[in-house]
Amino acid sequence: MTANDPITLEIIQNSLQSAADEMFAAMRKTAMSSIIYEVLDMGTGILDAKGEIACSGAGIPAFIGVLDKAVKVIAAKYDGTVRPGDVFATNDPYHGGVTHLNDIVVAMPVFADGELIAWTANIAHNSDVGGMAPGSLSGDATEIFQEGLRLPAVRLIAEGEPIKPVFDIVKVNSRMPDVLEGDVWAAIASARIGARRLEEIAAKYGAPTFKTAMDHFMDYGEKVSRAELANLPKGTFELSEEQDDGRIFNVKITIGDDSFTVDLRDNPDQSPNPVNTSRDGVMVAAQMIFKSLTDPYSPANGGSFRPIGLLTREGSVFHASEPAPIGFYYEIELRVYDIMWRCLAPHMPDRLAAGHFASVCGTFIGGVHPDTGRQYTIIEPQLGGWGASRQADGNSAIFCGFHGETYNCPAEINEARNGLFVDQMALNLEPGGEGEHTGGRGIVMDYRVRADNGFLTAGYTRSKFPAWSLDGAAEGSPNYVEYRPRDGEPQRFAFVSGLTTRTGDVIRVVTGNGGGLGDPKKRDPDAVRRDVRSGLVTPERARAVYGVSV
Amino acid sequence: MPTKTTRVATDVGGTFTDLVVFETDEATGEAHIRTAKSDTTPPDFEQGVLNVLEKGGVDPSAIDFLAHGTTVVINALTERKGVKVGLITTRGFRDTLEIARGNRPDFFNLHYRKPEPFVPRYLRRELPGRMTYKGEERSALDMSGLTAILDDFRAEGVEAVAICFLHSYANPAHEKAVLDAVRKLWPEASAVASHQITREWREYERTNTAVLSAYVQPVAERYLGRLDKGLRSKGFSGSPYIMQSNCGVDSLQAVSRIPITMVESGPASGFWGAAELGKLIGEPNVLALDIGGTTAKCSLIEHGQIKIMTDYWIERDRTSAGYPVMVPVVDLVEIGNGGGSIAWVDDYGKLHVGPQSAGAQPGPAAYGRGGTEATTTDANLWLGRINRDYFCGGEIDADMRSAETAIRAVGDRLGVDADEAARGIIRIANNNMVNALKLVSLNRGFDPRDFTLVAFGGGGAMHAVALARELGVGRVVVPAGAAVFSAWGMMMSDLRRDYFVTSLADLVPDNAASIETLFADTEAGARKQFEAEGVTDEKVRFLRFGKFRYQNQEHTTEVLLDEGAITPERVAAIEAAFHETYEREYTYRLDAPVEMVGIHLVASAEVRKPTMTERPLGEDDPSAAVKGARRVDYALEGMHEAIIYDGGKLRPGMVFEGPAIVEDPGTTIVIHPGSRATMDGYRNIVIDTGGGDTA
Repeated sequence: MTANDPITLEIIQNSLQSAADEMFAAMRKTAMSSIIYEVLDMGTGILDAKGEIACSGAGIPAFIGVLDKAVKVIAAKYDGTVRPGDVFATNDPYHGGVTHLNDIVVAMPVFADGELIAWTANIAHNSDVGGMAPGSLSGDATEIFQEGLRLPAVRLIAEGEPIKPVFDIVKVNSRMPDVLEGDVWAAIASARIGARRLEEIAAKYGAPTFKTAMDHFMDYGEKVSRAELANLPKGTFELSEEQDDGRIFNVKITIGDDSFTVDLRDNPDQSPNPVNTSRDGVMVAAQMIFKSLTDPYSPANGGSFRPIGLLTREGSVFHASEPAPIGFYYEIELRVYDIMWRCLAPHMPDRLAAGHFASVCGTFIGGVHPDTGRQYTIIEPQLGGWGASRQADGNSAIFCGFHGETYNCPAEINEARNGLFVDQMALNLEPGGEGEHTGGRGIVMDYRVRADNGFLTAGYTRSKFPAWSLDGAAEGSPNYVEYRPRDGEPQRFAFVSGLTTRTGDVIRVVTGNGGGLGDPKKRDPDAVRRDVRSGLVTPERARAVYGVSV
Repeated sequence: MPTKTTRVATDVGGTFTDLVVFETDEATGEAHIRTAKSDTTPPDFEQGVLNVLEKGGVDPSAIDFLAHGTTVVINALTERKGVKVGLITTRGFRDTLEIARGNRPDFFNLHYRKPEPFVPRYLRRELPGRMTYKGEERSALDMSGLTAILDDFRAEGVEAVAICFLHSYANPAHEKAVLDAVRKLWPEASAVASHQITREWREYERTNTAVLSAYVQPVAERYLGRLDKGLRSKGFSGSPYIMQSNCGVDSLQAVSRIPITMVESGPASGFWGAAELGKLIGEPNVLALDIGGTTAKCSLIEHGQIKIMTDYWIERDRTSAGYPVMVPVVDLVEIGNGGGSIAWVDDYGKLHVGPQSAGAQPGPAAYGRGGTEATTTDANLWLGRINRDYFCGGEIDADMRSAETAIRAVGDRLGVDADEAARGIIRIANNNMVNALKLVSLNRGFDPRDFTLVAFGGGGAMHAVALARELGVGRVVVPAGAAVFSAWGMMMSDLRRDYFVTSLADLVPDNAASIETLFADTEAGARKQFEAEGVTDEKVRFLRFGKFRYQNQEHTTEVLLDEGAITPERVAAIEAAFHETYEREYTYRLDAPVEMVGIHLVASAEVRKPTMTERPLGEDDPSAAVKGARRVDYALEGMHEAIIYDGGKLRPGMVFEGPAIVEDPGTTIVIHPGSRATMDGYRNIVIDTGGGDTA
C-alpha cells in the first residue's frame, strides 16, 4: 500500500472534518456573546497553504465561503513572514473580511517540518466593535469609518506571544471590551485547537500525503459538483425584481455543461447607506445556491465551487468600493440569493421551493440590565416561514437561508441575561402562503423592556414585498418590527436605527410566512381541517380560500 | 440461614435478553458467575426476562438482588409507540414545542424537514401566570381555564398530561399547583411536570423533556408493573433495581414515576462496568469502548469517575435537529459503526462504512440469510480475523461465498481485489471509531495516551488493539464475559441520583453561604427521597460539582469540589481549580470574574454489590489453550500466521504474544504482531499493545 492510497487519504479527510468540528465546539463553549454561543453565528474551517477551503465545520452556510477569501488576503500580505504560533485577524471587507466589521476572522498557520501546509480559521459576529452606534450597526452610517474598528488583516499573536498593543486597541474601541476580548480569545482557542490537531495528522502521515489528501478532497468536491451540474437544465435565465426600497435588482444566470455563471453587472450604483456588499459577499450567495442545487448533502469545500463564474461591476451595490458602508450587507447578500433562487425556481420545480421569509431580520436591542446595572446588547437573527415545495408544506419557524445550524435564544435566558420580559413567542397567524401546499409560519415575539434609555435597531427586508409564491398560490406575509410604546400608538418599521425605548414598551418582532405553491382549492381537505383544528386557519377562511367547510 | 447469595442482572437488548448470575458462598467467599442469553420478546419484554432466568437455571425465589436494564423507553420514543399527550404551558408559549430552536443542521438541503413536535398544536394549551428568572411571582397563576382544558383532553383521547411553565427551574410553585389540580380533577391520567425531571433553564428543552416523559410514562409504567408481577408470581420476594442513564440504578417505584431517565440505560451500564473494572484492577483512567451490531459507543472515565451531562438529544445528527431530553445521561459518543455496518462506495469512488446496518435480518452476507452487502463482520471473516469455522461461537455456518461476492463488489467499484477491499473496510471502520474516541478524549482536553482502553460488546475486542495503537494507547483490557459486560456493570451499580440545579451567583466569598445552602438543601431533599424508600442516612454519599464560567460566558465547566462546607475561605481555591480545568480544555485563561451557574449533586448509596475475588496466577505457558493456527490479515501490519487460543481454556497467569487470536463463544480478540497478552486474576485479557507512546 502506498502512502497515498485512497483509504489513507479518506482517513485524513475524515480527520480534517473532525478537526473542523472540534474547532466549532471549542469556540461555542468559550464565547461570551450570545450571538456566538447560543445563536452560533459563526463558522470554522481548514484551508490549504494557498487559502483554498478544504473542510468546514458546522455553523452557517454564509460563512463557509468567507474564510478562504480572508485567508488568501492574509497569506498574500504576510507571504514569507508567517511563523509557527502566529495568529492573524481581519474584519474589513476591503481587506479580505468579506462581510462587515462585526465579523472578525481569526486565522492561524499550520506548519510541518518548517513548511506552511495549511491554515485553520474561524469567523464570528462580535457584539460591539465600536463605531457610531451600540452594536456597531446603524442604518445611518454613510462611510465604513462609522461602523467600527477596522482590522486590515493584522497579526494578533507573533510566534505564540500576544501582541499586547493590538489587543489594547481592539479592546478600547468596544463598548463591551470584556466581551470582545473574551470572544477574540475564544476564536484564538478554536484556531489553536484545530492547528494542533492538523500538526498531529501531518506528523503521522507525512506532510506530502497530508497535502495530497487536501487536494484530492477538493477535487472530489469538484467532481461531485460537476456531475450534478450536468443534470441541471441548460440556458440563460433572467429576473428583475423591485426591492422594498424601490431599487430594481437584476440577475442573469447562464448554466452551461461545465459552468454556472451569475451576471450581476446590470444593477444600481452603490448606496450611501449601509445596504451594499463586497463582491466576495455576492460570491458567497452564488456559492450557497449552487451548492444547494448540486450537492446539498456533503460538506462544502473549495472544489465544490470551482464551476462558478461571477460578473459584477465595481462601484455597484453588489461590488462596493471603499469607503462605502456595508453594515447590513447580509440583507443584500440574501436578496441576491433569493433572486437567483426565484429566477431558477420555475425551471427546476423539483429542486426549488417557493420563496421563504428571506431576511435575517437582524434585531438589536440594548440598554442597562435593571437587576445587574450592566450594559446588555441583544443581537438576534429571527426565525421565519419557509416556502411550500412540490413535496410538502413549508417549514415553520426556522432560520433563513443565510443561517443554518443556528439557534434562537430561549426566553428564559433572554430574561435572565438581558433583563427584559419575553411576553410571547408564537407562530404568526396572519394570512399568507395559502396554496395546495402552504408556506410555513413565521413568528411573533414580544420583548417588554424593563428599563429606560434602551435602544432598538433593526433592518428587515421582504417587508413590503413578502415571500413569493409558485403556481397560483398566495404569497407569504411581510417581515416587520412593531414598536408598541406603553403610552402611544404602535409604529411599524422595516429599518430603524437607535430608537430610544422606555420601561414598559413592547418591541414586537413579526416574521413572514413562506410563499405557497399551487391552487389553494386543490389542497387536501383533511389538511385544511387539521389547520383549522390547530387554530392556524379560521373556519371562515377555510371556506373562502380553500373551499372547505369545517 | 442462606449459605449463598444470588445476584442477578438482566439486560433487555434489541435482539437478545442477557443474564448474568453471581452466586457467592457466604461461608467461603467463593463466587461463581454464569451467563445466559435468550431472545427478546416484544411487545411483552418481561416474558424474555422470565425466559432467560429459566434458561440460566435461576430460581427467582432465591434471588437476593436483581438489577434490570431495558430499552423499553428508547424504543417507545424511536418507534413512536407512546401515548397521546396534552401539554399545559405558560400563556404565550404553546408554540415553543413547535418553534423549537429553529436550527437547520442540514443547511444546504433546501428540502430539510423540521422534526414534528410530539404534541400537535390543538393539544398544546396555555394558562396565565408568570415567574421571573429569580423565581419571584410576576403574575398569579389563573387556573380557571383548567377544567375546560382537561375536558378537551379527555374528549381527544389524551392519556398523559405534561406541564411546563417558564422559569419553573427557579420556582416550581405554578407547575406544582397545576400538577396537583390535574391529579385531583383527572386521577386516571398520568401527569408529569418539568420540575420533577429537571431544574435547569431553557424552556424548549425542558418542555420537550416533560412531553417525552409523559409520552413514555404509561408504557414504561405498564412494563415495569408487569415485570414486577411476573417476577413475584415466580416467587421473587425482593424489589428489582432499574438501570438508569446516569450509570446508577434506582428503585422500581422511583423509575415508574419518571421513566424517561432510563432513556440511555443500555450503554450506561457498560460504561459503569468499565469504571468499576478499572477500580478493581488499578486503572482509574479508562477509555471505554462498546461495539455492538449497529453502533459503537465510547466514553471517558477519569480518576474512576464517569461524566454525567444533561445535554442529551434523540434522533439528532447532521441531517436532523432531533429532540432534546434534559436528563442526566453518561457523556458518550455513539457512531453508526458496528459489526453489521454496511460498506458502500459512493458515486465518486469513495469507500464508506455505516451508518446503515444489515442488522440481525438479513445480517452480514456471511449469515447466508440473503444479505448481499458487505459488512464489517464479512471483512473480519474474509481476513481470517474471525474463524469461519467457529462463526458466532459455532452457531452459524459462515457463508463465505456470499461474503466474497459482497466484498468483491466493493472491490470492483474501488478497482482493487477482495483482500484490499476487506482491508479498506476495516481501516475505514477503525478510523470512524478512532475519531469517536478522539471526540471523548482529545476534544475534551484529555490525552488518550494517559488512558487504558477497555473494550467490550460483541465486537470491541476485534478492533481494540488496532484502535489503541492508532491513538498511542499502551494497554487494552478485554474483560471476562465481554459480550455480556453491560449486565455485569449493572450488577456493580450504586443507587444513584444526579441533581442539576440552575442558580446564578458570582463566585465571591460573600456568596459562599448561599452556595452552601443550595447544596445543603439539595442534599436534604435527596436524603428525604432515599429515606422514604428505606435507604438510611448513613448509607448516602454525596459528590458536589460546581458549574462555573467567566462572567459573560454561557457554557460552563464542571469542577468537582472537595468535601466539606463551602466557606468564604475556600472560594479562592475553588476559583483556582476552575481556571486550571478551563485552561486544560481551552488553551487559555482569563483575568475575569467567575460566576457559578448552578450545581450538580450526585447522591448515591451502595446496594449489595458482589465482591470480586482474584485468583492466584498460575503457569505462564499458554500451550494448553492453543487451538491451532491460521493465516490472519492484520490490515496495516499485513498477513501473519497467528496462533489461535481457546478463551475458555486460558488460565490466570498465561502469557502469549501476537500475532494471535483468542476465540470465545461471544467474542473474538485480535492480538496484533508486537503485542503481548496476559490473563489476569479476574480472567480479563490484558494486552500490552506495543504501540503505546509516552505522553
